[in-house]
Amino acid sequence: MKLATIGVGNAGSKLIDRMLEFEQQTGRDLCRHVLVINTARTDLAKPKYVPKDRRVLIGDTHQKAKGHGVGGDGEVGAEVAKNDIDEIRRVFDDVEIHEVDAILVAAGLGGGTGSGAGPVVIDELQKMYDEPIYGLGVLPGEYEGGRPALNAARSLQSFVTKVDNFIAFDNDAWRSRGQTVEEGYEEMNRELATRIVTLLAAGEVDGSEVGENAMDSSDIMRTLDTGGVSSIGYASTDLEKADGLLSKYKSKNKDDEVNSMDAAKIKGLVRRAVNSRLTIPCEVSSADRALIVFAGPSSMISRKGIESSREWLEQEADTVEVLAGDDPRESSDTLAAVVLLSNVTDAPRIKEIQNQAVDAQNKIRELDAVRQEEITSLITDDDNELDPIV
Amino acid sequence: MKLALLGVGNAGVRLVDRLHGAEGPTHLLSNGNVLAVNTTPTTFDAVEHIDESRQVLIGDTHPEVYQPEPAVDDGTDADRSEADVVDRREGVAGDPELGAAVAREDLPELRRALDDIDDTEVDAAMIVAGLGGGTGCGVSSVLLEELASIYEIPIYVLGVLPSADESDQRAWSAARAIRTLVPMADGVLPVDNEVWHTDETYEAVNEAVATRIVSLFGAGEREGLPLSELRMDPNDISRTLAVGGLSTIGYVQTELSIEPDGWLDKLRKLLGVTNHEPEAQTDATTIKKLVERAVDSKLTLPCEISTADRVLLILSGPPRELSRKGFETGRSLLEDKTGTVEILAGDEPDTEATAVTATVLLSNVTDVPRIEQLQQRALAFQTGQTVAASADQSTADAAVSDEQSAENKATSTVDGEHETANSDDTDEELDEHGFRFSEKEPVDPIDLITEAESTADDSVDESDDSVDSSEEPVDGSGESVGSSEEPSDGETGETGERAENEPSDKSEETETPDDASDSADDPNIKDPFADGTATDDTAQ
Repeated sequence: MKLATIGVGNAGSKLIDRMLEFEQQTGRDLCRHVLVINTARTDLAKPKYVPKDRRVLIGDTHQKAKGHGVGGDGEVGAEVAKNDIDEIRRVFDDVEIHEVDAILVAAGLGGGTGSGAGPVVIDELQKMYDEPIYGLGVLPGEYEGGRPALNAARSLQSFVTKVDNFIAFDNDAWRSRGQTVEEGYEEMNRELATRIVTLLAAGEVDGSEVGENAMDSSDIMRTLDTGGVSSIGYASTDLEKADGLLSKYKSKNKDDEVNSMDAAKIKGLVRRAVNSRLTIPCEVSSADRALIVFAGPSSMISRKGIESSREWLEQEADTVEVLAGDDPRESSDTLAAVVLLSNVTDAPRIKEIQNQAVDAQNKIRELDAVRQEEITSLITDDDNELDPIV
Repeated sequence: MKLALLGVGNAGVRLVDRLHGAEGPTHLLSNGNVLAVNTTPTTFDAVEHIDESRQVLIGDTHPEVYQPEPAVDDGTDADRSEADVVDRREGVAGDPELGAAVAREDLPELRRALDDIDDTEVDAAMIVAGLGGGTGCGVSSVLLEELASIYEIPIYVLGVLPSADESDQRAWSAARAIRTLVPMADGVLPVDNEVWHTDETYEAVNEAVATRIVSLFGAGEREGLPLSELRMDPNDISRTLAVGGLSTIGYVQTELSIEPDGWLDKLRKLLGVTNHEPEAQTDATTIKKLVERAVDSKLTLPCEISTADRVLLILSGPPRELSRKGFETGRSLLEDKTGTVEILAGDEPDTEATAVTATVLLSNVTDVPRIEQLQQRALAFQTGQTVAASADQSTADAAVSDEQSAENKATSTVDGEHETANSDDTDEELDEHGFRFSEKEPVDPIDLITEAESTADDSVDESDDSVDSSEEPVDGSGESVGSSEEPSDGETGETGERAENEPSDKSEETETPDDASDSADDPNIKDPFADGTATDDTAQ
């Protein structure tokens, strides 16, 4: 697939940057157009792979933003994007839309810019283009608190109704002990970038060989056509390379096991992909459609393996709409299986976020309601006998 | 966040001088936008960092303002016990009305000085003043009024509250300053000398305040640091303070070489309770505890933290020490402790740092016993003044009724008690004075607090009701949801309604199956951001 990719906000921009990094490292060519949009000037300096002229600052003239972010407030994020919509549209003008199959908008839904400006950007894209627009959204973890949850719950509504499919990523599922703040986010972004690029780059004739069972862009698009929220599973296995003395010795002993992988192993890989951490944990059987991409040297992927994997997933996901195919990457030293579960309707985290959001919204309203009264009562004495100076 | 620093009065000028020194040669806070205003030149002599061109003397031609002979410098601090003496002699003599009058009269002078402040170079302005002083209280009030009318940027006040051993007049000025400044300023950050002024000089207070202000407002401003994951933007700070009211800062630092294991941890390990990699766990625990200690630390303004409206947390230190889990757990702990969900948290990685620091800003705290105390002292002082004035008059008239004189006598005795209490206090047991004073009050402060709490409870109940009623439509017809909550934007409004009530219809239109919209739409969370007037709804 050929994509125009747009990152909105801090998380979205970093995610796009990691996608570019991954495709460069693996010789893929998925992101044909790149754009990152942010309300904070400093955050725009972060990406390493996004060209300088593809970074757009919005809201620098907005009274509430001034290029210093929106203070985690989705309302302000949306307002700023609406005000600068001409600016955003002008940058889209460069996008030669006939060169791409779809547009991907990535954003963190807990922050102010991603949650607020993201949907505004998507609205504009929908007006301008007929191509499908996919959302890639990072959901805040429980520990990030009520405000991010509220941003996310509200933004999720906007995203899901506006995009053709929303691929969700749950921060909580990827939290691990011992990470630093820096590593934590870096690691998550890398994991997600690996999954999304491996999945969407399939079926792209970017110099790679067209496999027998090659996955086609239209297959992926068909699977995503359901709308709703989707989840991605991933598993990979290292292949031993045929260079180096040691591996030569090994391969002699291990015989041709290295050169082909039997159907059971391929199926095992898919099983691992589905049962390991999904980008958003969900009930697999609630998926509407599903798709498996095998990325790696084509010699490793047997037709039988693909077929048995497909049949297995058909049962697991309880749907007959399962497509499976390969994405030949001859030079790759890994074999990866990516599973796309499209329109999963049973994702507990989303309900949790919504509940947290409702609580947060109530708390915010309670505080709003008594704020002025409480300040006045604090600063005046009981009988209001102390006069202000001016 | 870049701040223009405007010091007013003795305490304000000294504190700004300290802040200006603490922000370093790059002027990471002020960008050089600093101003010192006073009604007496004495403090200017002690200034080390503020350029002479930024020192503004006002009121020197005012007939009621006494200017001392030059070179009156006793070397010690002017705000302490002798502060009262100094105030009575120099400048506006502790009289806030005179301070305000002087500032109004010299407004052209002030405006000219403000020309040197470039409000496009800063994100906000901060007036720094001792609120008990005549200049700090009076001139600040006029200056704030002036700034509010000329600047678009937010204006904050960093105001020092007099301690219990300072005079009742200073308490009176401070209570009125709070009353005056809070409604006009975008945020007021009081520093309570009662808890901070513990040594002879003001060095310790000023240093503590400077550390906190630089670490809070300087977050994200320091150059040459690694890029942070969750950077604090100036707008994060201004949003936190935007609710107004009184705000307070907590700060705690932990040196990195500390012994990581407490006896409890050791015991746990001994018992084999800890089954995780110990180092990683310690990291997370250290960071979590640090955040916890920051809110429990000595706040610039002691208060009941559960009344905080919004919160901002900055975690600063070497990136390898900033545990994500500890950071997130700490943040969620703040939510429990402060009872608010409006918490912004950011990291400030500093590879050179030898300590990890947590700085917490709690904005609009509403349960502040010290303010009540100041108000009571102020009222007593004010009543005393009025009675004394009327007593003078009555004596002159020589036509005093028995009743009146008895009344006067009674009240002046109360006043007299204050006087003696004050002179006692200059000797020893200064801290106790505040308590003794409140004990004398007819209304126990605890009652006052309970009263305030019960009012708060009432209003919470009220708002609970309103929340309930706003949720009602969800159970009822979808149309009422739409009409009460949905924006005027017809198209999106419609979609919202259908998403909740007629999924099949919607799926036909947007090709989204029922389940899809179901999982994304919670009927209780109404306005998606991109919908028309959703912005107006909660923005207020």
